[in-house]
Amino acid sequence: MQTKILTEFVTDPQQHRIETAVSRGAYQAWEKVVREIAPDDLIELVKKSGIRGRGGAGFPAGVKWGFVPRQSPKPKYLCCNADESEPGTCKDRVLLENDPHRVIEGMAICSFAIESHQAFVYIRGEFVLAARRMQAAIDEAYQRGYLGKNIFGSGYDLDMVVHRGGGAYICGEETALLNSLEGDRGVTRIRPPFPAVEGLYGCPTVVNNVETLSALPSIVNRGADWWAQLGTEKSTGTKLFSLSGHVKRPGNYEVEMGYSLKNLIYEKGGGILDDKKLKVVIPGGSSTPMLTPDKIDTPLDFESVVTAGSMLGSGAVIVIHEETCIVWVTELLAHFYAHESCGKCTPCREGTQWMYEILRRIEHGRGTMEDIDTLLDLADNIEGNTICPLGDAAAVPVISSIKQFRDEYIYHIEHKKCLVKSDFRLR
Amino acid sequence: MADFEITIDGQQVPVTKGQTVLEAAQAVGIEIPHFCWHRHLVPVGACRICLVEIEKFPKLQPACATVAGEGMVVHTDSPQVIKARQGVLEFLLANHPLDCPTCDQGGECELQDVAFKYGLDYSRHQEPKHRFLVGPESTFDDLRIGPEIIRSQNRCIHCYRCVRLVNEAFMEDDLGAYQRGCHTEIKPPPGGEIRNLYSGNLVQNCPVGALTSSDWRYQVRVWLTKQAQVICPHCPDGCNLKLWTYHNRILRATAAGNDFVNDGFICDVGRYGYQFATSPDRIKQPMIRKAGELVEATWTEALEYIKSQTNTLKSKLSGSGFFGLVGESSTNEEIYAFGRLLRRVIGTNNIDHRLGRKRKLSLGRQVVERGIGSDTIEYADIEKADVILVIGSDLHAENPITALRVKKAIRQHGARLILANPRPTPLGIRAAQVEVIYKPATEVMFLLGLIAALISEAGKKPEAIDLEASPIEEFRSKHESSGQAAAICGVAAATLEKIAATLSNAENIVILTGREVEQHPYRDSIYLAIGNLQSLCRSACFAPMPTDSNSRGASLFGAEPDLLPGGVSVDDKAGYEDTWKGPISEMVGKDTIGILDAIAEDEIECGFIFNTDPIRVFPDGNQVKSILEGLKLLVVIDSFMNDTARIADVILPLSSSLETEGTVVNWEGRLQYSQAAIAPLFESKPGCEIIELLADHLGVKFNQPTPTDVYREMIQFLNGEMPAQTQAIGREGVLIKSTEKKAVPDLADIKYTPYSEDNQYPFVLLVGNADHHRGTLSEKNDSLMKFTSEPFVGINAAEADKLIVANGDLVRVESRYGKVVGKVTILKGFADGQVLVPDNFIELCPNLLMGRQEKVDLVKLTKM
Amino acid sequence: MILSPQAREKIVAAAKQYPQVKSAILPALHVANEEHGYVSDQMYREIADLLDLKCVDVAAAASFYTYFPKAPRGRYYIQVCRNISCALLGARHLSTYLQEKLGLKELGETTPDNLFTVVEVECLGSCTTAPMMQINDDYYENLTKEKVDQIIADLKSRAPGR
Repeated sequence: MQTKILTEFVTDPQQHRIETAVSRGAYQAWEKVVREIAPDDLIELVKKSGIRGRGGAGFPAGVKWGFVPRQSPKPKYLCCNADESEPGTCKDRVLLENDPHRVIEGMAICSFAIESHQAFVYIRGEFVLAARRMQAAIDEAYQRGYLGKNIFGSGYDLDMVVHRGGGAYICGEETALLNSLEGDRGVTRIRPPFPAVEGLYGCPTVVNNVETLSALPSIVNRGADWWAQLGTEKSTGTKLFSLSGHVKRPGNYEVEMGYSLKNLIYEKGGGILDDKKLKVVIPGGSSTPMLTPDKIDTPLDFESVVTAGSMLGSGAVIVIHEETCIVWVTELLAHFYAHESCGKCTPCREGTQWMYEILRRIEHGRGTMEDIDTLLDLADNIEGNTICPLGDAAAVPVISSIKQFRDEYIYHIEHKKCLVKSDFRLR
Repeated sequence: MADFEITIDGQQVPVTKGQTVLEAAQAVGIEIPHFCWHRHLVPVGACRICLVEIEKFPKLQPACATVAGEGMVVHTDSPQVIKARQGVLEFLLANHPLDCPTCDQGGECELQDVAFKYGLDYSRHQEPKHRFLVGPESTFDDLRIGPEIIRSQNRCIHCYRCVRLVNEAFMEDDLGAYQRGCHTEIKPPPGGEIRNLYSGNLVQNCPVGALTSSDWRYQVRVWLTKQAQVICPHCPDGCNLKLWTYHNRILRATAAGNDFVNDGFICDVGRYGYQFATSPDRIKQPMIRKAGELVEATWTEALEYIKSQTNTLKSKLSGSGFFGLVGESSTNEEIYAFGRLLRRVIGTNNIDHRLGRKRKLSLGRQVVERGIGSDTIEYADIEKADVILVIGSDLHAENPITALRVKKAIRQHGARLILANPRPTPLGIRAAQVEVIYKPATEVMFLLGLIAALISEAGKKPEAIDLEASPIEEFRSKHESSGQAAAICGVAAATLEKIAATLSNAENIVILTGREVEQHPYRDSIYLAIGNLQSLCRSACFAPMPTDSNSRGASLFGAEPDLLPGGVSVDDKAGYEDTWKGPISEMVGKDTIGILDAIAEDEIECGFIFNTDPIRVFPDGNQVKSILEGLKLLVVIDSFMNDTARIADVILPLSSSLETEGTVVNWEGRLQYSQAAIAPLFESKPGCEIIELLADHLGVKFNQPTPTDVYREMIQFLNGEMPAQTQAIGREGVLIKSTEKKAVPDLADIKYTPYSEDNQYPFVLLVGNADHHRGTLSEKNDSLMKFTSEPFVGINAAEADKLIVANGDLVRVESRYGKVVGKVTILKGFADGQVLVPDNFIELCPNLLMGRQEKVDLVKLTKM
Repeated sequence: MILSPQAREKIVAAAKQYPQVKSAILPALHVANEEHGYVSDQMYREIADLLDLKCVDVAAAASFYTYFPKAPRGRYYIQVCRNISCALLGARHLSTYLQEKLGLKELGETTPDNLFTVVEVECLGSCTTAPMMQINDDYYENLTKEKVDQIIADLKSRAPGR
């Protein structure tokens, strides 16, 4: 079965040009939407497709759009979240760089549904090529009248702006993204009010992930039912998985929801690097709990991964083999979250740094047995008590690794060294 | 009224719609700890110490940012809440230096208090504490980030109150949060300092010792101090201060909570302006002029000297040969007792308090009869206003706390501020929706233009104007078009139309005028024009802001030649003679101008000047000096050595306002009671005691040596219920209401005469205060001198180019009356042909340049 | 003025794209960074003046983001991804290899010829092509020792004056 939908043309080096993209059907869905579909019907269509947000939380996109108060006299905004920064995740970049017109078309469709006339794509600062490609594509789209004033003679106007981030993982969190886009420090905001009601510049705003938006042209062209029959009942459609780490063929793979983790690693990814033994898999980006090899048969959809004890997250599958120290991995991740905490709320600001420092101590052979329970308790004091999910994200790897590899922590503390040496060299 | 109830810890708690869980809990005395929450700021839910459990919510919620919903069941002490709270505290303390023994905040530290109540007595944190270092070689993290503020970043708990106050409440731009995560630090912008006028509030509102004030640091433990509630003596805003004293020394001032008035804030002038009490300029003991020199004397010698001199003079002069001038920062009791001394003991009504630039007349009858400006406006009205029109006022500098209320109205419900001034003022950049710069002395034309625009606006929308009250046709026929007015005042007709449209759509307009209008030769015309403007708006009230801290008290309590205490005409004196047990003159006395003229004519030979310095403040100071020098006897009662005291025959040392209790009336007309913070310093005595001594020596004993005694007698002359004793005056004070009258518009009465220009003196002189200063009192405070200590002469860049001067070059400013010399400062946005001279520096006296009769003061500038 | 007229033009043009000027802070920082390779206090002030914004807002925002170095750096700014996917495939070794190769004692240092600065950064979103590094605007992926040698050699030969 054809499962390459979003990524169908990404390997074609010409796909980012509008001639190529249009020759393959780009902007047909957009034209159809503008000419034939009322915003309410469009929202219904998307609800019916069952597509859920691909940024990590998995919230149904159509429902999110439905929260935008239609009667509000304020302008409405769409922000495409292209601040892809969750370790392990690099699926959006593929779309942005190689098929920008699909992203633009998806953004346009969403804008039309929520009656927005101004859309922003917030691209992480380091993605220079992606930003250039998106800008060039937007310029082309303006030239061809797909964007700008009076699109397809309908009287509908839409402007689109590329906004580059500045290197801050937190800006992928929607409220921090809005602050950053407004020119403020990218700190998070408390919710409520939710962005759909009071978002960018205090106006109703939808923030959707690149992948979510990129699915829209296909959903419009081929129908909600077609999308809904792909994947599983509750997790519809296809999903991009970034397979990285200790696999033979890392890469971005688009498969139907419900595709098994085992097949992804062994079929698509060709198995574990150097035919070593699998130690652990992080299935949905660095902030999702680790899965041990006994969970290898888990189908990759939102529900099944939760049942297995983790989360689908952004679909970043990080494979880790037997010669890796789990304390080292956890320290690495803890460092990341401490580095990326925005500093607004106490548990995250102080807790992420503290956890990192304890882990560093253990990793360097200076840990104590009490540290293990302290770590668990600190993680517990962070989890659920912060403004945004970054705190939870930081707590997860700590809790998950201690729960599943407590013995390795004990060994580390007792022997003041790793059980297995994570000595990875350039090849 | 409560809209519904929620349950907190089993208790039914009434809630007004929109209230947060924290506010509802606070209202009934249920304590929920909090750090980042501040009642003037938008909740950010950052510190997480206020997390509570709300049934049916999946996670703990921040009480500060959760709006209470009907039927909510909240737990503030469930095991989950306690664990989270202890967790947050442990996080906060993890990197906190715990240098409590040497921290100034000890005893009033919110972190300490919350940890004391909810924290654990151990920490699991073993890592080296994260340290912010000031310099590469320093491990000491004190960093001066403002003239008076020192930051100890390591103590900071990142509640961001300071940054949010600066942004939201003060609308300033000199503090921000930098970096991120646990490296986040609070700093001014690169190369800058925190020097906004409200900077001290950041220290007061810092929950910990991260921001401290250099005046207070390492002085005393807070629990060893005494506190007094004092009304700030620096401006008519009437802020409530708390003065913290130790062994009769004032160590700091903080804002005392009074939501009726200062709403929890004070400006830096009030905060650091207590230091004048111990200024070297203080007059420490009585002095008598002997052989041309002032020499120190005892109280007995001085009083006996005054007695004998006065009696000699009295034997040849009637009472009309005497006068009294009283300063507008004196207390009501001092003013009342001083007036009584003059009228009853000396036998003259020659008394005045109006000494400001150019101001010589009472409000014209027309203005008084119409009751223009007599609407009683309170701070609360400003807060409610949807449009605030400020004319002729540097509100930010003149009434800093009123300006803060304006900002609150803007912040809370988008009120629009329209500023009209002859020069740009700080509020313009910070908060104004429209800032209008009119040509100097064209306020009347600006208002007439606005009225014309409002009338044509009414043509478009008749319902916007109360036609009954406004004879529109008559208006129209008499009136010039807004275009003509625009040309004269130099404000674009389109701007006038824009303002008119805003006014005609407004429901609650507040109009404020300030110093520029108050001291304006056309003041009465301006007031009349405002009266007309008011009647064209649906609901507009108007308050002319007085100049000094107790200007309103001075006119209420009998310091004007024609009015007895309570505003009663001098010919209606019977009741006063009864109370004062003796006769008083029914002749209207002379006002300040009249007094000076009479001295020059040798009709007046003896004067008492209480707490003011006419040579320094009255126009043409040189002339005032030479006139006063002609007196046979000049008695000066003051706290500080000043130009007038220097020519006195006798000086009596007056206790400063901080050593004296008494009542004062702020711009609202709110009478408030001010405690004495410390006992009188040096040989000084409080005003009421000095006046009682003088009266006694001059032959009448009132037996009222204390303000409390005077207050009891004084209040009988006020209409309305007054608390019988000063102690009974509550936090709200007493609003003294004037009778309200509706103004009837009559444009025919409004005159505009342009001033004649003078090629020889091409600049128009504008007077204001330097940053962080107000009058000459502020200069006696070391802390305030750290903000601005250099006198300057302000002109724009183009004028500076013409004069070939740069910042810091000396220029001579000269009028036909006098000259001063100062360093040039180039001001942004200033019009050509204008020069600003601050009047708060001893070395620079703009009043020397002014003429008593001038409409506009014209000067020339010369490079030195 | 540190910012060139062209840069200033770009900044003003960027500001016009947004409903509120303040949104142009990040675009302005990018323009400044592209022109100078770092963004200084003076540039914050110039940006604030140009856009009529508060300097504190520009400076505070800039300090929040890691993408804008505060001080000049080498002509080639090498950012080595240190996060999980790259770390599993030798990122640590990559940065020590670069340091040794370029004779740098520690991270953040610049070679004496002002050509190279090496830093480690968090995940750059190139996880499926690990290990990787970013040099100025460009990503260099699936790195091996050989590739690194080649890249450095190429950059050296491209440098002006050689």
